[in-house]
Amino acid sequence: MAPDAVGSTEGAAPAAPSEHSGSGLDLISLTKDFPGGTIAVDDVNLHVDHGEYVVLLGPSGCGKTTTLRMIGGHEFPTGGDILLDGHSLVGLPPHKRPTTTVFQHFALFPHRSVLDNVAFGLKMEKVQKEERRKRAMEALDMVGLTELSQRKPRALSGGQQQRVALARVLVTKPKALLLDEPLGDLDRLLQLRMRVELRNLQRQLGLMFIHVTHNQEEALSMADRIVVMNEARIQQIADPLTIATKPATELVARFMGDNNIIKGKVVENTGGRLVVEDEHGVRASVQAPGDTRAPGSQALVSVRAAAARIDDDGSPGGLNTAACEVVFVEFLGDLVKLHLTSGGERLLVKVPGDHYPSLRGREGETIRIRWEEEDVQLLAS
Amino acid sequence: MSSSSPPEQPDIDVTELEIDVAELEEAELLGAAPRVERALGDVRGRKGGGWVTLAWGLPGFVWLGFYLVAPLVFIVLVSFWTRTDTGFVRHWTLSNYGVLLHPFNLDNSYWKNMETSFVTSVIAVAACLVFGFPVAYFLAFKVQKLQNQIALFIIALAPFWTSFLTRSVAWAYPLMGREGALNQFLLKLHIVSQPVSAFGFSQLSVRLAMIQLYILFMVTPLFFLLGQVDRHALEAARDLGGNWWRTFREVILPQTMPGIVIGSIFIFVLTMGEYGTVTVIGQGAVSSVGTYIQQLVLGIQYPQGAAAAVFLVIALLAGVFVITRFANLREEL
Repeated sequence: MAPDAVGSTEGAAPAAPSEHSGSGLDLISLTKDFPGGTIAVDDVNLHVDHGEYVVLLGPSGCGKTTTLRMIGGHEFPTGGDILLDGHSLVGLPPHKRPTTTVFQHFALFPHRSVLDNVAFGLKMEKVQKEERRKRAMEALDMVGLTELSQRKPRALSGGQQQRVALARVLVTKPKALLLDEPLGDLDRLLQLRMRVELRNLQRQLGLMFIHVTHNQEEALSMADRIVVMNEARIQQIADPLTIATKPATELVARFMGDNNIIKGKVVENTGGRLVVEDEHGVRASVQAPGDTRAPGSQALVSVRAAAARIDDDGSPGGLNTAACEVVFVEFLGDLVKLHLTSGGERLLVKVPGDHYPSLRGREGETIRIRWEEEDVQLLAS
Repeated sequence: MSSSSPPEQPDIDVTELEIDVAELEEAELLGAAPRVERALGDVRGRKGGGWVTLAWGLPGFVWLGFYLVAPLVFIVLVSFWTRTDTGFVRHWTLSNYGVLLHPFNLDNSYWKNMETSFVTSVIAVAACLVFGFPVAYFLAFKVQKLQNQIALFIIALAPFWTSFLTRSVAWAYPLMGREGALNQFLLKLHIVSQPVSAFGFSQLSVRLAMIQLYILFMVTPLFFLLGQVDRHALEAARDLGGNWWRTFREVILPQTMPGIVIGSIFIFVLTMGEYGTVTVIGQGAVSSVGTYIQQLVLGIQYPQGAAAAVFLVIALLAGVFVITRFANLREEL
């Protein structure tokens, strides 16, 4: 899937009408208004292929969970359509949809054993008891929990409960797996391990996974494609590398963090190469083919904290540099975060950890930072 | 999957008593936090708690001993003593039981009353469950806000604000009586052509009154247990293919069994020994094992009354035992 950046006013490009009849999941102008005028999801368009791992990412209240719940049938859209392999799901209750959800906080049945939890979906399908047991044990084997099959959920650790929840949905062989903050209840070490396990499992099964999270790192590490949402709308749909390095909008750049945003006016436009200058005189150049805005108009660019570097050798300033005061030198082992300020604008530079000896204790000093033109990204405001 | 990953976080069985606290604290660092927390709580709490626990328990034990155990012991003793015209003397005898168990007496009014009371209790338990469950379900699931839930629950408790006697009298005459509101209403609607006297001073009215009086003993535990049912688990059940009925049957009902059992015990025990409602609503036309024993006591036949009461206590214990078989309270609460 080609990286595809879209502005907030456009629909998501990959969901072209011709694809609606094909395979995979399509959200078409999906909208949800809550009574009282709150719009939870506004005109969301998205196509997801079978076997694809898509992460819906955004701050809380951005509409990502509501979108997921509409796909699963736990909320009803007030507009638009949801198609799976060309068939609309909108009229179907959750138990008639070929999707299953891994709920936040796992939502296991406390009164049933692990085995009975996993076999529940099969029991609902009226599968015979022996067959049920066999298939449930297979699913438990897949997540490595066969020995604990007779335990009650509360006698399991968080990670084990998470895996029971996974086995419980996988046993019903869904066409799409919906995961609502699946790692949110786990402590950090377990989260890191479950990311790998979950992703491996998805690759083995070749299933469509749609995963909702507010954790940027989790999204970057797990997704084939990330859908960044904010205030009920899609901000950008792209692969993790593009999301991390080429945020499409100011909101994406700010939400992903570690982006320095320079807000200013175009001072020069030479055939698709803009020079933007902010009110403190910091100037950045950016390649923007086809951009026709005239000098004097507003422009917004971002530079990743990791793309900027310290230019300590006293070379002259100018384009793509900034003189900054060091506010705080934050040592994080592998890397050093330099918190800087340039005329009141806060800037952040990340450098490798071995630079720490030369940076330690330099709070209050002025240093110059420099970046390359190809690391500058023009943002839609 | 797990075969390739490092060993799972330590597996702690909370029920095991010999837990090494140091090992648990290490496990806590490794990220088995919530369960270890509980296990640690168990272990730490066990240290030196004996005397404090006893001190907290003492008032309860004294209370129970004085007001429950001692009277029960007396009743059992008196049931083996001999009746006199003014009370009883300490001459040991089995005749009080003999009278109740004598072959020619097995169809006497005591056992008939026992049977009637048992039927009344079973009906009351079943009716309270059938009518009480929807009320609790509505409060717990259909009322969204906790404040509204509590407000409606307090309104549902309103019958308990009035005295038992006021309610019973209101039932007996103005509501259920021959000239009462229910008969007037049915006459107005031409459902009946004559006032139905069965509503007042009858077994039916006594049973209806009991259901109304005791239904909250069922609604209350059900409401609290339903309130604790994980809403996401219900969505998960729906998601995994369960329709409303199967979700109710497989997920909600098993989790409310302890509430059903507790409510049933309350209602069974209270209605089986009832004589107040029977007396006020039945106005002498209805009897129960409770009124039977009351008559013996009023007739200064204490040993005979005590023997009758002992059988009632045995019947109650047997009933409670049977009810508790429906759910493992120790595990599920």
